[in-house]
Amino acid sequence: MFSTYPGQVVVDHPVKVPIEHRFDPYVDNGGTLLSIAGEDFCVVAADTRLSEGYSINSRYVPKSVKLSDKTVISMGGCYADCLTLTKKIQQSMEWYHHAHGKTMSTAAVAQMLSIMLYQKRFFPFYSWCILGGLDEEGKGAVYTYDPVGSYERESCRCAGSASSLIQPFLDNQIGFKNQASQKKTLSLDQVLRITKDSFTSATERDIYTGDYLELFVITSKGVEVQKMDLKKD
Amino acid sequence: MSIMEYNGGAVVAMVGKNCVAIACDKRLGVQAMTISTEFPKTFQATPKTYIGLPGLATDVQTLSEKFRFKVNMYKLKEEREIEPRTLAHLVSSTLYERRFGPWFVEPVIAGLDKENRPFICSTDLIGCINFAKDFVVSGTTSNQLYGMCESLWEPDLEPEDLFETISQSLMNAVDRDCLSGWGAQVTVITPDQVITRTLKSRQD
Amino acid sequence: MFLTRSEYDRGVNTFSPEGRLFQVEYAIEAIKLGSTAVGIKTAEGLILGVEKRVTSSLLEPSSIEKIFEIDAHIGCAMSGLTADSRTIVDHARVEAQNHAFTYNESIKVESVTQAVCDLALRFGESARGEESIMSRPFGVSLLIAGIDETGPQLFHTDPSGTFVSYSAKAIGSGSEGAETELQEEYHTSMTLIEAETLALKVLKQVMEEKLNSTNVQLASVTKDGGFQIYSAEKLQQVVERL
Repeated sequence: MFSTYPGQVVVDHPVKVPIEHRFDPYVDNGGTLLSIAGEDFCVVAADTRLSEGYSINSRYVPKSVKLSDKTVISMGGCYADCLTLTKKIQQSMEWYHHAHGKTMSTAAVAQMLSIMLYQKRFFPFYSWCILGGLDEEGKGAVYTYDPVGSYERESCRCAGSASSLIQPFLDNQIGFKNQASQKKTLSLDQVLRITKDSFTSATERDIYTGDYLELFVITSKGVEVQKMDLKKD
Repeated sequence: MSIMEYNGGAVVAMVGKNCVAIACDKRLGVQAMTISTEFPKTFQATPKTYIGLPGLATDVQTLSEKFRFKVNMYKLKEEREIEPRTLAHLVSSTLYERRFGPWFVEPVIAGLDKENRPFICSTDLIGCINFAKDFVVSGTTSNQLYGMCESLWEPDLEPEDLFETISQSLMNAVDRDCLSGWGAQVTVITPDQVITRTLKSRQD
Repeated sequence: MFLTRSEYDRGVNTFSPEGRLFQVEYAIEAIKLGSTAVGIKTAEGLILGVEKRVTSSLLEPSSIEKIFEIDAHIGCAMSGLTADSRTIVDHARVEAQNHAFTYNESIKVESVTQAVCDLALRFGESARGEESIMSRPFGVSLLIAGIDETGPQLFHTDPSGTFVSYSAKAIGSGSEGAETELQEEYHTSMTLIEAETLALKVLKQVMEEKLNSTNVQLASVTKDGGFQIYSAEKLQQVVERL
């Protein structure tokens, strides 16, 4: 013990203090997803960029997964959470198949996913989910979720990093909002065109969206996958 | 809470064929509560130049008066109307004067110059100018406006088509923003006339 | 009957050298002492019928409950120990509600039946020392009737946890006589009205007491009406048709 001025106490041995480490369990990997329900089809689309901050970790990481001939899930947010959640859904669907001897319907997957998300209400999966497919009558169905399982069936929805850019455009072009014209049912070609336009536009302004666009077209014939280039800058 | 989002509001400007258009919403709010639905954010600077001022409402009012004063002083001294490009630099330097205690507005300027060439630009709250050839957006609805404009806008729109494009862009954008909307005001500036229309839009 | 059963019928989970579980077999025997229940499947729907043993003139027949609702589209009739059936029906109801909650769709009849049978062998001591629910097998047999996306379904479950699908089936003390009658009378093109009549006719033959509208109970499962227990008036009408 010594002091440089009266009253000052200097300790001449190392002081043990606990070292605090902070762990942030979530990252935002960006990306945009979209789904539009038609009369007898459903389109699920998502870009394939995987970002972290200002870096692009990968240019091709698919965000959408085919769950059955009638159902496709698309997820954005924290990619690790999305992967786990997708696996959980696939596993539950397999169990369901063994227990009940049939493939889960889109509506059943929709309800189950809501419960899976809510089960982690206080440590949520950081994922924005959109479930697209055909319902029991063969009509297009889109179910959208928040990270804690609140869900709704809609006719079209965009989620993820460029959702604020695309959603008003969909309201206008799919829902005919602010247009005097009567609601029309759109053909698959029209829906695909609007989807592609949405993403090329969003890619211009959102740095987390780009590289490739992967489109899942769900019809009574099954699921068809299309790929399109987006800007890579 | 960001002070830029305290009152809410949206402004967008677009270039057409020998014409420009500028549009704004009419809401004035205090965070989520709507105070007025008659609060346009675009102001006429010269016969063929408009300035849009979305941001903190008190600064919107102060700056609109300040710019009216400065534009009038310019006209008296120079004995001519201020060019939109000149106005842009006037706005920019006025904002930069308050570099470390800024006015909380992000202005948009739209007009036709003396050769009737379209001019639009926007600046950030400390006066960094963004000269654009197509469209500029500003306010709490900027994300939605970018998405709409990027998809709907095309080059060389005639005045009536430009009006439709900017109106659809603004209305559908503000419908997805809680802080903007409640009616809109659209101004189309052509060499011969300036047409201002008020849009009803959704009241929620 | 069981010549070599010495000692091996004590432990509920002990196989005899012949490979039999006597307690389970005895439980199945117990059903044969129970009141008779019949189930008939038709293209229009299903009929469940049970006899109520009104053992005393002072007993209120309406307090005897042998047909239960499991879900809006599934019901069951029981024979054997009534108390055990409560446990099973409770389990089946929970399973059905759980399915509806998780998947937003009604459960299949086979899935409910499977869930009930999963419960059947969870008696005795468990290997890892965790608490088992029951000390002995259920002394109850069920006829589970319901309509799902695969059409009308009739299942029979017994204490061994086995379940089999039937067009028509009788359980309980009068089952042998009842099944002979069912085999003779049943045909696949039967209407629901014919099935009502047949169910009561079969019960009438095997019941010791004279059949009337208070000592039997009927229920139907149809696509539109779901599971319904017959009201006294409706039952009376069927009785009068006999």
